[in-house]
Amino acid sequence: MSTKTKTTEKNGSNGATNLKQPALESVWVRAFKSESEWPDKEEFLDVIYWARQFLGIAVGVLWGLIPLKGFVALLLFALVNAGIVYMYCTSFQKVDEEEYGGAWELTKEGFMTSFAGFLVTWIIFYTGLHSEGFRKDL
Amino acid sequence: MWADTLLILFISVCTALLGEGLTWLMVYRTEKYQKLKSEVERQSKRLEKRKEAHGDSLDKQQKRKIEREEEKLKQNNRDLSLVKMKSMFAIGFAFTALLSMFNNIFDGRVVARLPFLPISWIQGLSHRNLPGDDYYDCSFIFLYILCTMSIRQNTQKLLGFAPSRTASKQGGIFGAPPQAYK
Repeated sequence: MSTKTKTTEKNGSNGATNLKQPALESVWVRAFKSESEWPDKEEFLDVIYWARQFLGIAVGVLWGLIPLKGFVALLLFALVNAGIVYMYCTSFQKVDEEEYGGAWELTKEGFMTSFAGFLVTWIIFYTGLHSEGFRKDL
Repeated sequence: MWADTLLILFISVCTALLGEGLTWLMVYRTEKYQKLKSEVERQSKRLEKRKEAHGDSLDKQQKRKIEREEEKLKQNNRDLSLVKMKSMFAIGFAFTALLSMFNNIFDGRVVARLPFLPISWIQGLSHRNLPGDDYYDCSFIFLYILCTMSIRQNTQKLLGFAPSRTASKQGGIFGAPPQAYK
């Protein structure tokens, strides 16, 4: 899609790097490989964005299955979400956060959408698995 | 109740796809939009690169050049939002009608059970038109908004219709004023 075109453009304009490394691996491979090269910032931010969405849904399912409830669960989601992404950026990929406008920029990338996704999955799983008791009481 | 929850999820997926489909028909596929969009992206990238290259050491001439480019970008952003606006209004009206129809269908029905107690200013939304005062009960509108928030943006991003970050940062696709460069 558009990301691929961007990579090609970037590679095309980066002649010196091209001589050393003819083609970059696909985004998927680089996302799972430690300390990958990210010449296009947008690509890395996209990886963070989609990782966040996946994480939001996964945490939502987990919290719904356990079930975790209340403000603590919301707080825990925020901590897990921000913590994992921050660790991924700094410890796994070891990117220079200043290049992306600081840690805050990386932390907030796709956070709200991920939060909404988390709430939806959490509510759906909680409703499906744990709400019947409340209905019978009514 | 769970069937209602899943139905609302399905409805919001459908409306998100329908919305994007209609916007594509009326806006995204038009030549004018595509031209303006690529122009805005190109300009935003160029502007960012220029600012990065010069950093804080800007002389008067460079500053003026950057200001001129920013002005151009602003103008293009304004044109872009104008192109979008008309069809957005049409789609907005259609969706408001659709929403009020669903609102009527789910009126007074508890569609989900919330695993948390919403804060007081959200309770008006999460408990809208519901009987009783058990604020863990969730109304249609609250779940629908949440679903739309997550599904709409992800659909836009998946289909490649979301504005690029550089363009949003430089001026916003809806013509917001450009951020001052730090």
